[in-house]
Amino acid sequence: MRRNYNGFLFMLMIPAFLLLAVLIFFPVVKGMVIAFQNYNLNNPLSMVHFNGLDNFKAILFDTNFNFWQIIINTLIWIYVSLFFQFTLGLILALLLREPFRGRGIYSGLVFYPWALSGFAIGLIWSWMFNGQFGIVNDLLQRAHLIHLNVGFLSDPKLAMISVIIVNIWYGVPFFAIMLLAGLQSIPKELFEAAEIDGAGSVKRLFFIILPYIKTTIVSTVLLRTIWIMNFPEIIYAMTSGGPNNATNILSTQMINKLVKFYDYGQGSAVGVIIMVILFAFAFIYLKVSGAKEEGAA
Amino acid sequence: MSKVSYLKLDAEPKRDNGAAARYKKAAFKGTRIILLTFFLAGALLPLYWVIVTSLKGGREIYTFPIRYWPQFLTFENYSYLFKISNFQVYFRNSVLVSFFASTGALLISMLSGYALSRFRAKRIRMAFLLAMYFTQIIPAYMIMTPLYTFLARLGLSDNLLSLTVIYTGMMIAFSSIMGSGFFALIPVSMEEAAQIDGCNRIQALFQIIIPLVLPGLAAIFSFSFVNIWNELFLAVMLMSSDQNMTVPVALNSFISKAGVSWGVLSAGIVVSLLPTLVVFAVAQKYIVIGLTEGAVKE
Repeated sequence: MRRNYNGFLFMLMIPAFLLLAVLIFFPVVKGMVIAFQNYNLNNPLSMVHFNGLDNFKAILFDTNFNFWQIIINTLIWIYVSLFFQFTLGLILALLLREPFRGRGIYSGLVFYPWALSGFAIGLIWSWMFNGQFGIVNDLLQRAHLIHLNVGFLSDPKLAMISVIIVNIWYGVPFFAIMLLAGLQSIPKELFEAAEIDGAGSVKRLFFIILPYIKTTIVSTVLLRTIWIMNFPEIIYAMTSGGPNNATNILSTQMINKLVKFYDYGQGSAVGVIIMVILFAFAFIYLKVSGAKEEGAA
Repeated sequence: MSKVSYLKLDAEPKRDNGAAARYKKAAFKGTRIILLTFFLAGALLPLYWVIVTSLKGGREIYTFPIRYWPQFLTFENYSYLFKISNFQVYFRNSVLVSFFASTGALLISMLSGYALSRFRAKRIRMAFLLAMYFTQIIPAYMIMTPLYTFLARLGLSDNLLSLTVIYTGMMIAFSSIMGSGFFALIPVSMEEAAQIDGCNRIQALFQIIIPLVLPGLAAIFSFSFVNIWNELFLAVMLMSSDQNMTVPVALNSFISKAGVSWGVLSAGIVVSLLPTLVVFAVAQKYIVIGLTEGAVKE
């Protein structure tokens, strides 16, 4: 009976795994093979052939797109975005924890960016950051914070800050939603007890709230790290990795190789590098969290 | 419970000790209102600005001083979108592809999500879940090239049906993970009771369990719909002819097309946002439950 039941469950998994095999698993393996091939549509005369590690060498020693700068950009992009997304998301979640009139409508309005595409958001903000007709320049001048227009996206020093601001703007709702769900699981008694003990709001935050939702925080941050790393849309729409490589991250480098240069070999090689990094990251995470669970039990 | 309320009563006098506490409370409330306003204004400004830009005439967009409300309100950008460019075609393509791919992913992951929630052996469940999570870690762009070259060889690359099938595959893993979270909330005793009443397993699943998780299924559908609606790069790679473009591909082509102004682009963006905003408004509550119950806790 039991074995029969398992058989029934396996049967239900078949359609999903058939499609995943054909549309995801097999293409990923094929993509990894392409990373070791000369596969460039711009050069139709050259036949597709294996070229060993040439694609990886080309990326590592690319003079136009310095690889180490791309790695540093990727780290900055991930961690600066995450830090502010988390902090602002937590503040927003704390603000929304206690009910007030119109909270439902308010949270709908403040959470909506979550439903938009990164590409559309990148386009909207690149118009807002426009060096000539941008609303951000205009608002800052009206506030007398700047006197002349600033090239937010054309100045290599400012471009990274600008795209990160947009990423933060995009990510705050997601964190607020997840953290709010975590906050609402905290029993009321815990707050009341703390209040009686005379704990101030800062103490309550660090000693009750954050420890209680630790699991939510850890899993949200880790999911988000992976997600932000694989998220080139905003940068693609705003700067395309420029000016002069200043905002180029691994995933925009990959997209540029694929849809701009039609160099599938090098694009796939960047993809392999991303996969290696993310699997190492996921493995370490599973080790650490698994070890903790065992320790607790 | 009674103990807690007793303690709370006990604490009441302590809280209300004079003017200092009242000031503190007022300051606290003031800060709260300022912060709430800041978040709301920050969230709405880009949406407001793209709408205003889409309602300005070509000349007004590029003149100083910048106007925060159009001097001459016009719909010329929208009429360009639908009369000169083929935006209604792109819109229809996006609706069809998103609807059928989300439906397909939902039907398939309904079965797999249910199965995932019912495996008694932890090892089997974890193995399947890890395989599902694996697909979430790999960059989606990794599968683009092989799929494109494969379909191109068959002459199926510039094809809406191909795109729909690929999107279905891309949404299955996450839909299954989310679905297993919803199914896990339904106790196994429900279908056991149904089987005692003479249902077979399939009947128990479709007649008893699935009606109970309908809100969850709506969340899965909406989540897929929004994601597919927003997908850009795969469609850019696959869709080459004008009549097969989806909305994001069309917006992407506007950037490089000469003569398309920020006004038209803004109008296109506004139109492209509408469906996801509607879906989001309807299903937000359930998507949140789905993400918190299904995806994160595992």
